[in-house]
Amino acid sequence: MKKDLTEFYRIKARLISMTMLPIILMLLFGYMFPAGGGVNHISIAVVQQDQTPAGLLLSDNFIYAAQSTKTFDVQTTTSLEWAENQITLGNIYGVVVFHQGVSDQLRSGSAQVEVVLDQVNPTLDQEVKGGITQIFLELQNNLSPSFTDGLPGNTGPTINLQFEGLVPGQQSSFEFLAPGMIAMTLIIGGLSGLAMTFSREKELGTLDGFLMTPISRVSIIFGKGLAQIVRGFLTSGLVFAISILLFGVHVYGNPFLMILVLMLGVTAFTGLGILATTFVNDQESAQLIIMMIQFPMIFLSGVLYPILQLPWFLKDIAALLPLTYVVSAFRAVMILNAPFQAIYTQVIVLIISTIVVYSIAIPLFRRSVMR
Amino acid sequence: MSISIQINGLTKSFSGFLAVNKVSLSVKRGTIFGLLGPNGAGKSTLLRMLCTLLQPTAGSASIEGYDIVKQTNEVRQVLGVVQEKLLLWPALTARENLELFGRLYGMDEKILKERVRSLIEEVKLTSVADKLVATYSTGMRQRINIVRALIHEPKVILLDEPTNGLDPQSVRWVRDYIVDLRKRGYTVVLTTHDMKEADELTEELAIMDRGEILAVGRSADLKEKYGVTDIEELFLSLTGRELRDSLTGKVKGRGW
Repeated sequence: MKKDLTEFYRIKARLISMTMLPIILMLLFGYMFPAGGGVNHISIAVVQQDQTPAGLLLSDNFIYAAQSTKTFDVQTTTSLEWAENQITLGNIYGVVVFHQGVSDQLRSGSAQVEVVLDQVNPTLDQEVKGGITQIFLELQNNLSPSFTDGLPGNTGPTINLQFEGLVPGQQSSFEFLAPGMIAMTLIIGGLSGLAMTFSREKELGTLDGFLMTPISRVSIIFGKGLAQIVRGFLTSGLVFAISILLFGVHVYGNPFLMILVLMLGVTAFTGLGILATTFVNDQESAQLIIMMIQFPMIFLSGVLYPILQLPWFLKDIAALLPLTYVVSAFRAVMILNAPFQAIYTQVIVLIISTIVVYSIAIPLFRRSVMR
Repeated sequence: MSISIQINGLTKSFSGFLAVNKVSLSVKRGTIFGLLGPNGAGKSTLLRMLCTLLQPTAGSASIEGYDIVKQTNEVRQVLGVVQEKLLLWPALTARENLELFGRLYGMDEKILKERVRSLIEEVKLTSVADKLVATYSTGMRQRINIVRALIHEPKVILLDEPTNGLDPQSVRWVRDYIVDLRKRGYTVVLTTHDMKEADELTEELAIMDRGEILAVGRSADLKEKYGVTDIEELFLSLTGRELRDSLTGKVKGRGW
């Protein structure tokens, strides 16, 4: 025991990871799941297709009520197509549609209001559903006389909510998790696999075997990087197959677009793996450094929890992580059949981050192998 | 006899510490040259510079006429290196290890396959060539490690303590093989702590300590010059009999 504890104290990498990793994780969990609970400021859109004074009165009453609760941030539009596109882009999580003629329906006793949900995150969908239902219940009980006059007896008009999704069927929680898990498996392989393989070769001395041959240093990096990419695709393919076969995950998206997103992601992360390699000389240090990068990244990038739940400063950090863009793009394509136009921002960000990372990583690697 | 390796004032400093200090040497083509020195003398650092794994701080060196700084790829093509640590991947077979190295040197696939076959036969490992190196004994691994350095038909071989940790049979085999390499025209540079080995195999040798060359020449000439009867006496008279207890500082964990 004494010997292990002494080593533990003297080997800085172990000491740092033992202290830093739990602190980072606890801070993350503490801020991601605050004591007050609940999610606020969920972005939704209201489509006001009924532009009559009565229709606008009804939809404005909803908007006012929604914003007063602080649960929702509301944008207004007259275009349902625009609003549904915003869902695909991940900018909003629900659309409340006041179709043309809804005010007339209400005066005759019963009106139908359509609510289109995000579907990618069933947990969030429940929040949106519950919040909107509650607002409409209160609205129904406090309708203006212009809607209730002329109705028989003491009955007030009813507002029926019709919940829809962009894709058919009911999504499960696993459908939120699956795209993130697939992307994470592939990408983390690029990051940790490369750092581990290089540090193992350094430790064994076999890296010298490559360095003493005429092949370029860049070839060594790309050869090993490609091997990690292939390995990553095989592993994530397995996760993909299990998701579909065992958990009934539906894939609606274009497979080529899905592969493009994953390729961009794994290329960016392989670059980070090369960067990590320049700072470690042995496998244990590599493992510890990778863990300290990997765990916070998984929690912040929307793999397991929606970014919406994060406090503002963690959302800002999430916006800096390449994995965030991979997960959001892949999820949008796989579950919501998002077209390329919907994810081109994420694609551009990934391309730029890849260029930046490799511009730093390759010269650093070259310098690290030639002292 | 022409010169295969020419070293002029080669120096390597690590954060102010002079590991190799203005070393100048010539190694004649087709000979076996011994580099002796206590631990920490700078032999490995010198060899790593010749292998193009380290950049010299000052001075120059050439191998078969190629500058080690300006013509690194040409140097790598003419040089084969046997490090003290095995440069073999345990999860590959002997054949796979040799073929991998051949490809790294850009060898033609057909020529490579024949070369691998003939080298494996030379070291008498044909029957186990397709078994994982992880299953080999130390002696078998060292035999493959040595021919790995020959795969691309270099002109110069650097061997760092090639008989370290081997049983007597393997030691005999390696020594005979080194002599055979010289007969075949290779230039061999050998580092060793075994004075008998140095005396038996080398035609010329250098004794190095604290980054500097203390003596260089033919074994017989050096013995006569310093009035000793064997290389060990010569070595101890030049480097001293005290134990070397210096700390090497941070261990980088790479090869040498």
